[in-house]
Amino acid sequence: MTLHNPAREYELMLTRRQLFGRTALTLGTGALAGLMQPDLAADTDKSTAGIHHAAKAKHVIYLFMSGGPSHHDMWDYKPKLKEKFGEQLPDEVRDGQRITGMTANQKSGLPLAASKYKFTKHENNDKGVWISELLPHTATVAKELCVVHSTFTEAINHDPAITYIQTGSQIPGRPSLGAWLSYGLGSMNENLPGYVVMHAKTSFAEQSLFNRLWGTGFMPADHQGMLMRSQGDPVLYLSNPRGVSRADRRAQLDALSALNQTSFEQFGDPEMLARIRQHEMAYRMQASVPELMDLSTESKETFELYGESAKTPGTFAACCLNARRLAERGVRNIQIFHRGWDAHGNLPREHESQCKDVDQGCAGLIKDLRRRGMLDDTLVIWGGEFGRTAYCQGKLTAENYGRDHHPRCFTVWMAGGGVKAGITYGRTDDYAYNITDADGVPLATQPNKETWTPGTMHIHDLNATILHLMGIDHERLTYRYQGRDFRLTDVHGHVVHDLIA
Amino acid sequence: MYYKFVRLAVVLLISISWSVQCGGDEPKPPSVDFSRQILPILADKCFVCHGPDAEDEDLLRLDSVEGATADLGGYRAIDSEHPQKSQILVRIQSTDEPMPPADAKKQLTEQEKNLITKWLEGGGRYIKHWAYVAPVKKPLPAESGMVIDHWIAAQLADHNVALAEEADRPTLARRVALILTGLPPEPEQLQVFLSDKRPAAYERFVDVLMQSDRYGEHQARYWLDAVRYGDTHGLHLDNRRGIYPYRDWVVRAFNNDLPLNQFITWQLAGDLLPDPSMQQRIATGFVRMNPSTAEGGAIPAEFQAKNNFDRTENLGTVFLGMSLTCARCHNHKYDPVTQNEYYQILAFFNSTAESPMDGNSYTYGSVDKVPSDQAAWNHWQELAAARTNILERASGSIGQTITLSKDDQSKWASSDEKGRLQIIADEKGPFADSPLRSQAADLTQDIEKAEGAFTTTLVAKELPNPRVTRVLTRGEYNLPMGEPIVPDVLAILGGMPDKAPRNRLGLAMWLTGREHPLVARVLVNRIWQRTFGIGLVRTPEDFGLRGQLPTHPELLDWLAVELHDCGWNLKHILRLMVTSRAFKQNSAWRKELSDPENRLWARGPSHRLDAEVLRDIGLWSGGLLDSTMGGEGVKPYQPGGMWFALAHPGSNTKKYVQDKGSRLYRRSLYVYWKRTSPHPMMTLFDAPSRESSCVMRSRTNTPLQSLGLLNETQRVEMARTLAERLLTSAEQDAGRLKLLFLLLASREPSDREAEISMQLVRKMRTRYAASPDDAVQFLSIGEVKRDETLDVVEHAAWTQLSATVLASDIAIMLY
Repeated sequence: MTLHNPAREYELMLTRRQLFGRTALTLGTGALAGLMQPDLAADTDKSTAGIHHAAKAKHVIYLFMSGGPSHHDMWDYKPKLKEKFGEQLPDEVRDGQRITGMTANQKSGLPLAASKYKFTKHENNDKGVWISELLPHTATVAKELCVVHSTFTEAINHDPAITYIQTGSQIPGRPSLGAWLSYGLGSMNENLPGYVVMHAKTSFAEQSLFNRLWGTGFMPADHQGMLMRSQGDPVLYLSNPRGVSRADRRAQLDALSALNQTSFEQFGDPEMLARIRQHEMAYRMQASVPELMDLSTESKETFELYGESAKTPGTFAACCLNARRLAERGVRNIQIFHRGWDAHGNLPREHESQCKDVDQGCAGLIKDLRRRGMLDDTLVIWGGEFGRTAYCQGKLTAENYGRDHHPRCFTVWMAGGGVKAGITYGRTDDYAYNITDADGVPLATQPNKETWTPGTMHIHDLNATILHLMGIDHERLTYRYQGRDFRLTDVHGHVVHDLIA
Repeated sequence: MYYKFVRLAVVLLISISWSVQCGGDEPKPPSVDFSRQILPILADKCFVCHGPDAEDEDLLRLDSVEGATADLGGYRAIDSEHPQKSQILVRIQSTDEPMPPADAKKQLTEQEKNLITKWLEGGGRYIKHWAYVAPVKKPLPAESGMVIDHWIAAQLADHNVALAEEADRPTLARRVALILTGLPPEPEQLQVFLSDKRPAAYERFVDVLMQSDRYGEHQARYWLDAVRYGDTHGLHLDNRRGIYPYRDWVVRAFNNDLPLNQFITWQLAGDLLPDPSMQQRIATGFVRMNPSTAEGGAIPAEFQAKNNFDRTENLGTVFLGMSLTCARCHNHKYDPVTQNEYYQILAFFNSTAESPMDGNSYTYGSVDKVPSDQAAWNHWQELAAARTNILERASGSIGQTITLSKDDQSKWASSDEKGRLQIIADEKGPFADSPLRSQAADLTQDIEKAEGAFTTTLVAKELPNPRVTRVLTRGEYNLPMGEPIVPDVLAILGGMPDKAPRNRLGLAMWLTGREHPLVARVLVNRIWQRTFGIGLVRTPEDFGLRGQLPTHPELLDWLAVELHDCGWNLKHILRLMVTSRAFKQNSAWRKELSDPENRLWARGPSHRLDAEVLRDIGLWSGGLLDSTMGGEGVKPYQPGGMWFALAHPGSNTKKYVQDKGSRLYRRSLYVYWKRTSPHPMMTLFDAPSRESSCVMRSRTNTPLQSLGLLNETQRVEMARTLAERLLTSAEQDAGRLKLLFLLLASREPSDREAEISMQLVRKMRTRYAASPDDAVQFLSIGEVKRDETLDVVEHAAWTQLSATVLASDIAIMLY
């Protein structure tokens, strides 16, 4: 029994996919194209077709600062806090906010700590953006950035908060943002998977990451992010065993395919044919990944953009350079996780090191994408799972302080990929504690995930906006599990059109 | 008001048009199946407003017979007596006041409207969702043989096809061995079966497989996925957790044929049974399986709630085959579960003694000290038996050869087994002159030694005074509302049995009660799923209104009732399945039938085997598999730095310290399960993280799997030892190849397979003869030393072939 009709074979495979993955009926045509094997895919370029509307971005590069970077010390300039040094956070500012167990009962109370860093206003395409001296390189691309000061969440601890922003739920078990993108859009490159995750080196690996952040929850496991590592094989099990050459592997795969073909002839299970193709893609990856990781072809100018550290595998800058190379090769979704932003104490020492790790890489990536004409369809996102408090945790001096977790506002920036360049969005009060309206007037009620308040961006809104830019309606990309049509944004999320160019 | 049903004139209008539509002589419309065709539409399109979570108490409810047929003031949404007068007909066709409303997200399709109309034409009978009605065994014609085959053949007859021919015996032997034990048959075992020409040879073969210890290990794996067993806490630091004795208990329970109702009861409430045994307490590890945290800033009340959410929702998936999650925040949108009921179930769990925060501790909360692996358990059983024996003999001798003083008498009477053994062993005690004394003394020493080697395991224990449970507004831990909740069950599934206590034991009594409509169905469906590759209900996690209907409802129900009737005997149910003609079918896809999902069961199963089975087959075929059972999770080869790249610096699972020696070759069931980063060869092949319940793994097909199959250290090592076995077992290529296929496919190679294989061997011989150094390199991967008496070129060539066949569909597929 053989199946020579590719369309029929594809249909069968799709059926099996639905069988095991129970793909929801809402999957659009773009997603179908993505699910199709490349050799069966339509010949037109669907990369920006989107599945619900035309996509602004083909790629997303998410620079995730795990631990909760301090918006106070980098982005959200609050000169008035200087005058309040050591004073207690006023109750009306706290406004009933629950506080973590780490500072709730602190003897010193909640003493205010202004940033010790110097801020400069940088020209952008609007009224300018304040950036601290910790990010001198990032400041040079201020005109490309869409800086959102009013991102917020409900979670106040790392595990729930990072799980929330990456999967839409504080409790494990849901597919990650990347898995949703993979499910919705598939891959554009037949030699590389559509979703790649990197872990950048850091001096302060204070908080944990979890497979679930790039995992698939109840979705089929093939939507999980592929780890691209700086230790050992860049992709797990990529290299042939010692003593096995590429020619040997070819011979082995020829035999393997022939054997699998006999199985297919016997049983007619289309999954068997699909597997033959997967073995071939693996073989191609064995060539394409080393080529990808080989930075020797990169010019001196490029390294000047990213900095010297980009030559050291595993550094944030090297990951950024890899991210560009991945995007260039058609990988849709790239995430770099950089840990160590959880500065409960000694924030200056830690954040100085952290900023040094990422600053030039971020700027280099944006400049590099820009000069290659890639920024317009590549969305770059920078941010963490929450912000940090206006008050100090631990001992407060003018030169040294720590900050606890803060959910009510934090700064996330985006660039390229169809967002407005050179603007800031959202405003916070003089304590960078609460989101205010555009005039700095406190909001009547705290913003919440239930109804969108203009000028704010709940993490569900952020995710809805990311999906939107990628051509996906976050309310229509669903996956049925246990009778429910799940979404990344749960029953919330609002596309923040104000940010979209 | 817009949403309310309106009356009168329109009814008349539609009645007229009805008669026009129906005409007089039209043939009777084909009957519409309410639960199959109508209820899913109502659930999908109408329940969002007119369902369990209706915003307004007065609003029409379509989720129950009573609601849907209620008198709304002279008219009814569904009028069973005068179906054509049903208001629903009016509204779904109305342009002025349509239902669903014009702005509703989900609209009815024309086809759906027609179906509803047809159903009402056919009488409009509204019945309860099938899964909420207790199953019954539908009577069979007298001549029907096996029940399974009867129901499957009945549907096949509708499609004018018959069951496929039987698979050949070797293939069938491999299939059933993999299904029951997770390993292919041993060559000798296979030979016995193949040469057994007497009747019932297959049944005997099945019995042998079921008696193997490998059986319990394999069956346990599915349960561990469902209950999300892991060796770490799962959140934040993801530290080590001591609970593997639970895993080993599950294996034992299957191997010892513990009836499934007891299996359930012990896990939910072993601690609440009278005088619970050690096993019964170990089993309560189930209650403690929720992921937990001790994150610095975490608020205990928040995690008290989250831990309980997790347990409540796991209960829903594992036993009820339904999601309760929706009802955490509001009444369920589709299934008849109220928010109140969710918290009634949750209340059963809200009284366990452990703190909500795990303290990052291996011995978090209540723990018991128990034997640490299967050998230790067996030894402990022997000691316990010896103790019973001595005590019996001692009791028998009292009043005969031994006289107890008054003091001794009362001491004896008030002592437990341990105390009595001490009395017997006492040099100055009443047994000082008895030969029993020294035996008791020796035994006491042995027992102390064994106890000294005990490990700890997390168990459930009740607080003396249960915590107060209240409904949490929107599921927010800090927004309790209303009166304290009394533990109770879901009304739709029948109330708690009379006299059942309002605790976990009562909950278990409810679940295992004869009247429970779901538990047995859900369990037999999953047993079917692991036997036939996919369930009768294709959504094993959802038997609710939006779940799929069983492909063979009568069969599912028959099996569910049979599970009760046979005393919850898993082996009996499995035996029914694997000895059915349906199971024995050839797996080839059938040209004459378009049934890619195999909903008709007109062919045998074919699918890629699970991660654990792939690894176990390789180890087994290469003679590496270590049969030691139980104990702390093992750590086979894993690429460096995988845990370190993710872990918190304070975590005690940040460094993966690879095991040495035989622990590298234990069955995959025992591989250490770090929930935030399970072994990559497991996750690569769809093993779940075990952070949440998984009752059906996906079966993906990716290039990374290819890389893993061909390059991973353990797989290269197993291919090498397999090659060694081939080379030392047979002198000639043909014999070697025969053994290779016998091990992995339970049959000889076809001519074509032999040709492909030998071509590769010849190529590799030439290649490695040219550079024997490469061969040596290749053969030095893995801890086990290569057999240096073998020619390296030959060894390398056959290793390449072994690795290839091990990675091929011949070895990695069930067929």
